[in-house]
Amino acid sequence: MKIYWQYICISITCFMLNINADIINKNVERVLDLTSQLVKTTYKISVEDLTGIAVKDYVLIIREPNLSYISAKDGFDNTVKLQKQESENIQEHSYILNFLKDSPKQSIYIETVSTKNLLPHPYEIKQNDKQMVKFVGNLYLYSIYKTITQKTNVILSSSNVLSSTQIKPFSLAANKIFFGPYENVEKLTEEELMIHYENQSPFLTVNSLDRTIEVSHWGNIAVKESIQITHSGAKLKGSFSRYDFQKDGRSGQSAVKSYKTYLPASAFCVYYRDTNGNISTSNMNLQQDYVDLDLRPRFPLFGGWKTQYVLGYNIPAYENLFSAGTDYVLKMRLIDHIHDNMSIEEAVISIILPEGSANIKLDTPYTVNHRQNELMYTYLDTVGRPVISFTKRNLVENHITDFTLKYTFSKVSLLQEPLLVIAFIYIIFIFTIVFLRMDLSITSHSHKE
Amino acid sequence: MNRSAKIVNSKVAGYSSLITFSVLLIAWIAGFSSRLFAVIRFESIIHEFDPWFNYRATAYMVEHGWHKFLNWFDERAWYPLGRIVGGTVYPGLMITSGSIHYLLHMLNIPVHIRDICVFLAPVFSGLTSISTYLLTKELWSPGAGLFAASFIAIVPGYISRSVAGSYDNEGIAIFALQFTYFLWVRSVKTGSVFWSAAAALSYFYMVSAWGGYVFIINLIPLHVFVLLLMGRYSPRLLTSYSTFYILGLLFSMQIPFVGFQPIRTSEHMAAMGVFVLLLAVATLRHLQSVLSKNEFKKLFLVGGLLAAVIVFIAVVILTVMGVVAPWSGRFYSLWDTGYAKIHIPIIASVSEHQPTTWFSFFFDLHILVCAFPVGLWYCIKQVNDERVFVVLYAISAVYFAGVMVRLMLTLTPVVCMLAGVAFSGLLDVFLQEDSSKRIQGSTNSTLDADDHEESLEKKSLYDKAGKLKHRTKHDATHEGGISSNLKSIVILAVLMILMMFAVHCTWVTSNAYSSPSIVLAFHNSQDGSRNILDDFREAYYWLSQNTADDARIMSWWDYGYQIAGMANRTTLVDNNTWNNSHIALVGKAMSSTEEKSYEIMTSLDVDYVLVIFGGVIGYSGDDINKFLWMVRIAEGEHPKDIKESDFFTDRGEFRVDAEGAPALLNCLMYKLSYYRFGELKLDYRGPSGYDRTRNAVIGNKDFDLTYLEEAYTTEHWLVRIYRVKKPFEFNRPSLKAKERIVPPSNFISRKNLKRRKGFIRNRPIVVKGKRTLK
Repeated sequence: MKIYWQYICISITCFMLNINADIINKNVERVLDLTSQLVKTTYKISVEDLTGIAVKDYVLIIREPNLSYISAKDGFDNTVKLQKQESENIQEHSYILNFLKDSPKQSIYIETVSTKNLLPHPYEIKQNDKQMVKFVGNLYLYSIYKTITQKTNVILSSSNVLSSTQIKPFSLAANKIFFGPYENVEKLTEEELMIHYENQSPFLTVNSLDRTIEVSHWGNIAVKESIQITHSGAKLKGSFSRYDFQKDGRSGQSAVKSYKTYLPASAFCVYYRDTNGNISTSNMNLQQDYVDLDLRPRFPLFGGWKTQYVLGYNIPAYENLFSAGTDYVLKMRLIDHIHDNMSIEEAVISIILPEGSANIKLDTPYTVNHRQNELMYTYLDTVGRPVISFTKRNLVENHITDFTLKYTFSKVSLLQEPLLVIAFIYIIFIFTIVFLRMDLSITSHSHKE
Repeated sequence: MNRSAKIVNSKVAGYSSLITFSVLLIAWIAGFSSRLFAVIRFESIIHEFDPWFNYRATAYMVEHGWHKFLNWFDERAWYPLGRIVGGTVYPGLMITSGSIHYLLHMLNIPVHIRDICVFLAPVFSGLTSISTYLLTKELWSPGAGLFAASFIAIVPGYISRSVAGSYDNEGIAIFALQFTYFLWVRSVKTGSVFWSAAAALSYFYMVSAWGGYVFIINLIPLHVFVLLLMGRYSPRLLTSYSTFYILGLLFSMQIPFVGFQPIRTSEHMAAMGVFVLLLAVATLRHLQSVLSKNEFKKLFLVGGLLAAVIVFIAVVILTVMGVVAPWSGRFYSLWDTGYAKIHIPIIASVSEHQPTTWFSFFFDLHILVCAFPVGLWYCIKQVNDERVFVVLYAISAVYFAGVMVRLMLTLTPVVCMLAGVAFSGLLDVFLQEDSSKRIQGSTNSTLDADDHEESLEKKSLYDKAGKLKHRTKHDATHEGGISSNLKSIVILAVLMILMMFAVHCTWVTSNAYSSPSIVLAFHNSQDGSRNILDDFREAYYWLSQNTADDARIMSWWDYGYQIAGMANRTTLVDNNTWNNSHIALVGKAMSSTEEKSYEIMTSLDVDYVLVIFGGVIGYSGDDINKFLWMVRIAEGEHPKDIKESDFFTDRGEFRVDAEGAPALLNCLMYKLSYYRFGELKLDYRGPSGYDRTRNAVIGNKDFDLTYLEEAYTTEHWLVRIYRVKKPFEFNRPSLKAKERIVPPSNFISRKNLKRRKGFIRNRPIVVKGKRTLK
């Protein structure tokens, strides 16, 4: 019933946009990458208008819950703007693509990443068991247009497939499953695609990322990330045995012993700590264009276990902070790499600017939820530092892009704090000199002791 | 002439104050930096056990405010009893660091409270050396004071309690102690109400900071008493003591933890007695001046006797009635060293309550322990009011230090002071000639020379001895003569000794007192690399992240504070050993069989059990080695269930191998420590289940746990955490049909043939007649 309603909605939208009904999907090639905890899909769609009129708009529907990232390109490798349509169903995302060039034949390359669509099944496993996950999706591209042929290639993390949808034609090879080609699929056809397979890759979810970027005009940018991370794969059932874990390499394969975090190449003074102090089990390797941190949590993360830590580093300001006169531009990554194939539930980003910054203008690569700007007081502050803060939910690696922040700052304000210290010490000396020369006794001593 | 002398005078005064200032500053810096070994080697972290509680309490106070802290009922400790923290701590430490934190945050300096806590003791060590300087200056001379200040800055006996991260009461209490004594001596000297009121205020700070304030409140009366005995009564003494005692009494009662103790316990009675005595003496003195000799004699005899009898009877009656509490156990154990062992095993089980060995005197004090009798002799020889004080201080502190390792701390300041006096006296003799050539009097130049030694001695922490030699040679050649050779040799020897002292101090500090003990480090013998064992924090962090917020964790009391501080979970017992029977219950659970202890654990709502096990890495401070104390403490409360002798073999040995006592091999602690350890091979050639700490193959290898399951074990097996299963979760061990025995019961059915119908219990039985016996 609901789907029917949506169909009507979509049809109405189509009419309103005056979309030619003769558009078909001539060929759809889809690659589903299920090797990690994320579902990464790439679509290659050839669109054609049978009547020969130029295709201007195209309605794309992605039926995937927790869709985190989507990007579209046309045949000339130009980014195509995606205009999101409001939809009642959170499982469904519909977009209208506006092509830059008019042509009756268009090809689109779409890339999507979604999180939490690989569910561990069984839900709980013992320490020595393998982690099995289940993927449920659509076998066909859900489209308001008719599709002539379509294929789906699924890449799995292992060749151990317990069960999968078996709609012919399909074939299995090592860790891949090929579905299709399916011919002449009518519009809005649904068919479930289910794959139950072994996936031992780390299932880590960053529950919350609190990223603070503190800009100092003395030439330093301090970045601090407090991270809460959970193993979101199959939960550990029963007891944990250190003996098995140490002796048997196969034991606890789905447990996460360590992961890598890449920091900017110029990062220095890196610290990795939690509320109990420094976490002494980590290595740092300097690479050509990044710093490679091998982070080991205090304990291996088994299914359902969580940990919290703070990772901080400094980077020299000249790489990210540009100025002309009193105008400054901060250009930095909005979020940074935490681990490969990461999935962040919620990120809070705060940018602390020096005292006296004004006319602040933030420009983010994607929409974020702005929060109330605050003032922060730290060493020798008098009027407080402006803090720009915003949040964003459901982030993946593809979101690692730069934001720009423009503000003005007069260089004279830099001298305020040293002058404050100088004045303070000066007053202390003056006070001491005066105090030592004062006689505060109420009686006059004839002699000194 | 006069004018030029004045200029020279002020110049010298300027130099001497500059030297004093710089020596004290250098002492402060040296003291501060030599306490930083742990921070540099490891990190800025709270050490050991008690500091974790202090840190937690401070963090609570900073977060919730002072009034909430005073009323803090900590439900995370001593489950299910809880603990009223505000009323059972000496809050001085928390107030000190809390107010520093407050002050810094008012100035927008965002220092974390942990860093304040870590660096509090090193900062206060500088204040201690300044107050030691002041005190020694009052007692002897500024030169001796500078010596003493430099000694106390780096002496290991004090560093042992005040390294960075050792956030404990002693860290600030020694400062308060020295400062109180300084003010007291000053007030005795001057007889001014101002100084004695200041002494009382400082005493108030000391009371709020450390239980050791009892030392002050007994030593000062003792001083007064001895002065009276020596016939050194003066109105100054009366003024200072009565002001100090009354104000100090009122102040000390403001601390919730102390409360009415100062007027109700025996420890404080001496002070009151001396107060009364002093007043009596003063009255007599007054009367003596008013009355004639005969009248006075009469009055003295009658009044004195009467007063003595009344006081004695009053004290006895009050003690018997319970108004005045008798001495506490810890106090008793100061006089009778065997007392704790017999009566209070929980006190005896702490290593720092053991009697001090001869070795540790030298280890902690080095050359000072040899020099300090000299200083004592100097003081006795040239005795005056305040030197009586330092003599008493020295004698009592030596006694206490001999009784308990821990009280070495109270001995250290006085040793430093008297050693300073000794060295100063020595150099007074051997540098005298030098000074006669100058315009100034000998004292100032001695001071000058002393200061040179001081600064040189400071430098010798880092520099080679070459510089020293050069300087002394220069002095010697300047003087010439036969005796000058001797002088230079003596001075050289003294300098060498002082240099060795500095080296020794640094060595001891670095090797013995700078381990945080929650992070262990060892050097790999093969490649010389330094490895860190972070198992404690690994386990505590696991607890904090992956157990329910209200989970209750049973462990031996040593780890209570750490669990509360680092894992923020509820514990059953902790290092505040106020409830012996609760600890004994935990000890009983640890030393019973799994089945029996399960009953105890369910009755106490235990969710997790934590044990420390060092068998894999050879860590000797683990729970199996502490186990006998658990048994002893449990036996004290439950003598029927737990017997220490059961845990020894027939030959009276405590061993964990196959010959070990069966009670030991089957108790909970053994099972939790060695669960699945029997399968582990530590190296290829050795047998499996080889315990490195006790160098034995364990006796009970193959067993399974029924009522508990392994929840987490750290990387080096140092901490093992077990989850207590809920009653529905486990299968009780299955028995074969043959082995099932119905437990014999005492119930015998009364339903014989006659009474098949049933009967009414307690029905009066009518005896109809007596059958004749045949």
